[in-house]
Amino acid sequence: MIENKESVFVRELSASLRKQGFHVRTEVSNMGQSADLVATRGRWVTIIEAKLGDWKRAIAQCRAHEHIADYICIALGSVSVSDRLRDTASELGYGVIHYNRSVKRFDWVLRPKLNRAVWRPQRKYWANMVRKQNYGN
Amino acid sequence: MAIEHWMMFGTFAEQRHFVYPDRTTYQGTILNGNMVAHAPDGLAAFLLEKTAGLSYIIDPMTHAFQHHPRFVSDSDGKPKSSIQALAEQYGSLLTDIVGKRPLVPRDLRDSVALNDLVKNCLAFQSEKLSQVMASRDAMKYLDNANVQLKPAALVAPYFYMTETSYRDWLPICVNAAQQARKLFPTSRLFTSVVVNQGLLLNDDALESVSTQLSGLDVDGYLLWIDNLDEQRAGSSVLNQVLMLSRALRKNKSRPVINLHGGYFSILAAGALGDEAFSGVTHGPEFGEFRSVIPVGGGIPIARYYLPQLHARVRYRDMVRILGATGWRESAAIFHSNVCDCLECKETINGNIQNFLEFGRGNVRGVRRSGGMVRIEYPTAEAKMHCLRHYLQRKRIEYQFAATASKEQLLENLQNGFKQLEEVVGLDGVSHLQLWQDVLNPVAHA
Repeated sequence: MIENKESVFVRELSASLRKQGFHVRTEVSNMGQSADLVATRGRWVTIIEAKLGDWKRAIAQCRAHEHIADYICIALGSVSVSDRLRDTASELGYGVIHYNRSVKRFDWVLRPKLNRAVWRPQRKYWANMVRKQNYGN
Repeated sequence: MAIEHWMMFGTFAEQRHFVYPDRTTYQGTILNGNMVAHAPDGLAAFLLEKTAGLSYIIDPMTHAFQHHPRFVSDSDGKPKSSIQALAEQYGSLLTDIVGKRPLVPRDLRDSVALNDLVKNCLAFQSEKLSQVMASRDAMKYLDNANVQLKPAALVAPYFYMTETSYRDWLPICVNAAQQARKLFPTSRLFTSVVVNQGLLLNDDALESVSTQLSGLDVDGYLLWIDNLDEQRAGSSVLNQVLMLSRALRKNKSRPVINLHGGYFSILAAGALGDEAFSGVTHGPEFGEFRSVIPVGGGIPIARYYLPQLHARVRYRDMVRILGATGWRESAAIFHSNVCDCLECKETINGNIQNFLEFGRGNVRGVRRSGGMVRIEYPTAEAKMHCLRHYLQRKRIEYQFAATASKEQLLENLQNGFKQLEEVVGLDGVSHLQLWQDVLNPVAHA
């Protein structure tokens, strides 16, 4: 199968996160959606929606992750990060990661805030479900 | 005043829902003619043994033959077996063309051809199921007085009309209903009015359809507006639907059953809509609006019917709404603010964490352009919880719309708007305001 640009982007982001000590799973289901990346370190769960351009769609997808993730981020592969995205993410407490093409590096534009809207029963149910899945990555 | 509560029969897997919450909930069921032609034994058993004599009307589905054959064909390009079986019931005109070309008005301008179709179509409705039912062993054990062997009404052949096609199809529909009356003079006879939203917004077209069909010597109507999602429809369309239905009703002297309707239609059938419909039909789950030309599904997701919005809400959105409103603090708070139906009480069982049961899923891999993704599909149990809660709420809605005062009905809509505007946004609640404006225009004049 030919990989599209977004899946290559997700793969590179996964590698970068693993180097930072995260345990990374990709395409993890959550309440009828599929999260691009779930990065865990210790007991903390970070969900990342990766997009090459359409950050508004990423924001919409992140809403469901608020029930289960301690931190929520958007990773963007576009040339630049707009002020509007920065403001929206800041308001929602989401982090923003940008891929710097010139140096081939992922940079933090905005660090995420701890999400306090987690619904513990949903988180527990989701975590059990993820454990049962055979995530090859 | 009672509002007739009809439910559309979809699949045999849904049979048990026709006696839920109880056997008295539904006035009757609408059966698609192609299913009757294809599986008369199963449907006879359903009507006799599963529901012990539920009233029924057979939708003759004659419009299925006017669409391009690909819409009624299977993946091999052959007509679906149920459509082929229906064509065989209706005679050579349809068996000659089914799967090859669409039926066009010209085919039915010949009065002999139309007469044959009408005769076969009505005989099929009158006899097909009743004969099978009469021959079943179960008849020995049932009280004959309570068993409805014949359909509650026969439906004349009908065709889907748009603002561009009504000039050709309307005379056919009128002739078909007139022929049906001549051939079956003593039968309770309905005709179906199936139109698109464009026709409703075209004054000349609506006037023609309304005048000619309301002038027919028939006992009632089935009404189906193509793909009319009441929660997204504008006021112009909703107002025109009411206008058409009231014209057909002739001062409430004749029944008009909306074949696919939600809470707006239920309200319209009650005091708030001055009984614009006599009854409203919905499916066990996905039947509050439907396209005349069938379209494919999508990935199923769990949806919880939120009584305040009178809408089915995705489970993940429901969890967010419950969090934002504080309604998931405890089971008691949930029941007093959201729903205290039997299904919710049994499922939540005193512990709000059990709301999860409405959203449980199994993960399966789905191939997408970027590779495999894992998507959570609702479990059979989660779907059942959502469905039973939905059916409980529907019964409550029909009873409420039929018995509450106008003030109570309006207050209910206003409360939903106020409670949830800041949680789901104006777009998520604006239908509640629009329904008030349409159904109670004086208050907003």
